[in-house]
Amino acid sequence: MGAFHDFFQVILNPELFLLVGLGTFAGVYIGAIPGLSVTMAVSILISFTFSWDVLPAISLMIGIYMGGVYGGSRTAILLNIPGAPSAIATAMDGYPMAQRGEAGTAIGVTTVMSFFGGFIGIGVLALAAPLVSDFALKFQPRDYMLLAVLGILLVGSLSSGSLVKGIFSGALGIGIGAVGMDPLTFTERFTFDIPLLTQGISFIAVMIGMFGVSEALLQLHNIDLPAVRQKIDRIVPSFNTIKKHLPLSLQTSTIGVIIGALPGTGGDIAALMAYDHAKRVTKNPERKFGDGAIEGLVAPETANNAAVGGAFIPMMTLGIPGDAVTAIMIGALYIHGLNPGPMLMIDQPHMFWFIVGTLVAANFFMLLFGLTGIKLFTKIVEIPRAFLIPLIMMLSIVGAYAVNNSINDVYWMLGFGVFGYFMRHYGYPLGPVILGVILSRLLDDNWRRAIISEREDLGRFFGGLFSSPLSTVLFVAVVLIFVSQTPLWTKGKEMIFGRSNRSAS
Amino acid sequence: MKRFALGAVSALVLAATGALAADYPAKEIQGIIQWGAGGSTDTVMRSVTPHAEEILGGTVVMQNMTGGVGAIALNYVADQSADGYTLLMGAENPLLYKVMGLGKKDYSDFVPVNVLARGTPILVASPNAPFDDYAGMMAYIKEHPGEVRFGATGPGGLPSVVTAMIETIEGDLDVISVPYDGDGPALTALQGGAIDVMPAVLGAAIEGIRAGNMKPLALFDVAKSDKLPEAPAVTDFNAAYNDYLPWGPFFGVFVAKDTPADVVEKLAGAYAEAATNPEFVELMNNRGFTMMNIAGAEAESFLSTWQQNTTWLLQDAGLTKTSPEEFGIARPGK
Repeated sequence: MGAFHDFFQVILNPELFLLVGLGTFAGVYIGAIPGLSVTMAVSILISFTFSWDVLPAISLMIGIYMGGVYGGSRTAILLNIPGAPSAIATAMDGYPMAQRGEAGTAIGVTTVMSFFGGFIGIGVLALAAPLVSDFALKFQPRDYMLLAVLGILLVGSLSSGSLVKGIFSGALGIGIGAVGMDPLTFTERFTFDIPLLTQGISFIAVMIGMFGVSEALLQLHNIDLPAVRQKIDRIVPSFNTIKKHLPLSLQTSTIGVIIGALPGTGGDIAALMAYDHAKRVTKNPERKFGDGAIEGLVAPETANNAAVGGAFIPMMTLGIPGDAVTAIMIGALYIHGLNPGPMLMIDQPHMFWFIVGTLVAANFFMLLFGLTGIKLFTKIVEIPRAFLIPLIMMLSIVGAYAVNNSINDVYWMLGFGVFGYFMRHYGYPLGPVILGVILSRLLDDNWRRAIISEREDLGRFFGGLFSSPLSTVLFVAVVLIFVSQTPLWTKGKEMIFGRSNRSAS
Repeated sequence: MKRFALGAVSALVLAATGALAADYPAKEIQGIIQWGAGGSTDTVMRSVTPHAEEILGGTVVMQNMTGGVGAIALNYVADQSADGYTLLMGAENPLLYKVMGLGKKDYSDFVPVNVLARGTPILVASPNAPFDDYAGMMAYIKEHPGEVRFGATGPGGLPSVVTAMIETIEGDLDVISVPYDGDGPALTALQGGAIDVMPAVLGAAIEGIRAGNMKPLALFDVAKSDKLPEAPAVTDFNAAYNDYLPWGPFFGVFVAKDTPADVVEKLAGAYAEAATNPEFVELMNNRGFTMMNIAGAEAESFLSTWQQNTTWLLQDAGLTKTSPEEFGIARPGK
């Protein structure tokens, strides 16, 4: 009965309800602007809500979080600039749809699927939090490393065209991610004694440059082409569309929850893994992936919103943040006199149900704000290029500056923008670069942790690999996916199927 | 004309300095937090500063500036004009920058406004570890060399100092040191069994200990803490620790060295009063921090003693890049 009351508290209290709505609304737009991140917004809110009670403060933060994760898809679809790293995969099929005049449909599908994924995440949080957090704790450095390797194998599905060029892009990304002061030993890597490089290269600056600026430069080629007229007849996807993608969205939501619940990984990796999964399991997409496949929107959007619920799981059960935003929320709970940790669920069970209830409310608000105003937004794509290109450039510069208030980041962003333009020009895919930067630290740090833990003995490392069921499963997955991308696989498949055909006849 | 311009400029300068002294703060104050949002330094600063704002009658806009183990924030504040409108909100790390080769500046380029509080280190182990206290751990390490995994956070971090202290007193430890990004991720790994022992700050470990997800081996202090009476003090196992303890990380607010004295005084007064706010004191107590609330000469001497002790400890453990002697940091007199 108590839980019931706590769950509905946010809806019954008009002030809290309004704050969630306000937060979600603000979140959608903060999330849509590249460089303005949810993490930043929530940390500013800590000071702002200092004198408030804990419940209103948390309501506002959760609203911003939920709205922000979704908001990143807006600019990804409309301008090919992901508003947040977790929307990178969304741009790959969302933008081609907008170019065909289907921006409205793309935003509609994205919204409904984000809502769906959000619910799966919240459902798992409400019903199975202790179970999932126990599972998440089982991940050892070795397993994180295998997960990163699994991620790197996505290069194949992120690069349309030449695989070799894709591998080059991915390797470049990993290299970019390694620049700067190594956080484990404080040794400088790839810095060439240049002070600027010791701080490393801002990942967000690379992302904004490669997507935003290179897109603007590319648009200059066809500046006189008339803008695409947008069809806005169908925004809310039909029930049949949703039903058709239900199995896929359930799978990708599960990926999202688990990756979100792991303390070392978040929505960005979840979305990319889900995209890859969709590409693997979708036998006959209506359109090719990368050309505007609906599945290419469904997968990352369900996954990154499911990751929100996932990120709360270790936070609520263990006081361990699932991502950067929950890390700040833990700080906020401290400031408001609560002691987040494994005892929170026992000392303050009402807090758990209140947060679940608030997430549900925020998810509904997201659906509401997501589906309204689409017509207005799709007009952005119809703006003549002579106005649109400067707009993209300005947005990119503001975004890159806002991350660290650093003018150097703007230079990095512009540099990578020009570089990205030439890469695209010569057919090098940009997705793998970003993938490489995201995974660089995960792979590098955990490989070193894993091998140091085994006294730098490769034999012991492989011994450990096969003595843990989790590591074994991940390792087998890595091997299978790797082999499936080589000619060996098709040959083997032919042989097996050929033989079975014969024996059947 | 020239004379007029000269006069105007000097009048402006006069007016500016006059304004500084009398009605500080006349504009927004910038607070640069050395560490990321959600961390200990961030939480402490964001909870004390609103009280200080009220007393000052101004606003302090806080901003996290991370990177380079906090050196980027420190250099940024040092480069701003010394007018008291940019505060550095930092932790203990800058005192080690010089010997660790992380930077050429440290708190000697600043004036302490307030050293707010200090943390107490504690040695915790995973619940499955085959020992239950400090003595048991030492015995186990001797019997099983190269088996026990210690968490670390890089040279100069709290775990490296605690480990250096143990090695100075007990002799070299044959353990595996696994590096993590911070004590949060390392304590997560401890609960998952990836490492066995972690030197952490009491506040970060206390909830995990209460829940039985980790066990306390020894508190690195000269006496037990009333926050966690079940954790024995390490001095009970080996009295030699009395020479080095109490030691701990700390949090403080700083301004650049040449800031006008009356501005520093005004800021120091505000933070000293803010630090006695009952809500703040309770928050610090709950997180296992010991309030210090010191300023002026007292803070200066605390900082220099801390730097002497710690840099020489790290020097003797072979963890430094440059000897403290090079920077005129004298070996603590014993």
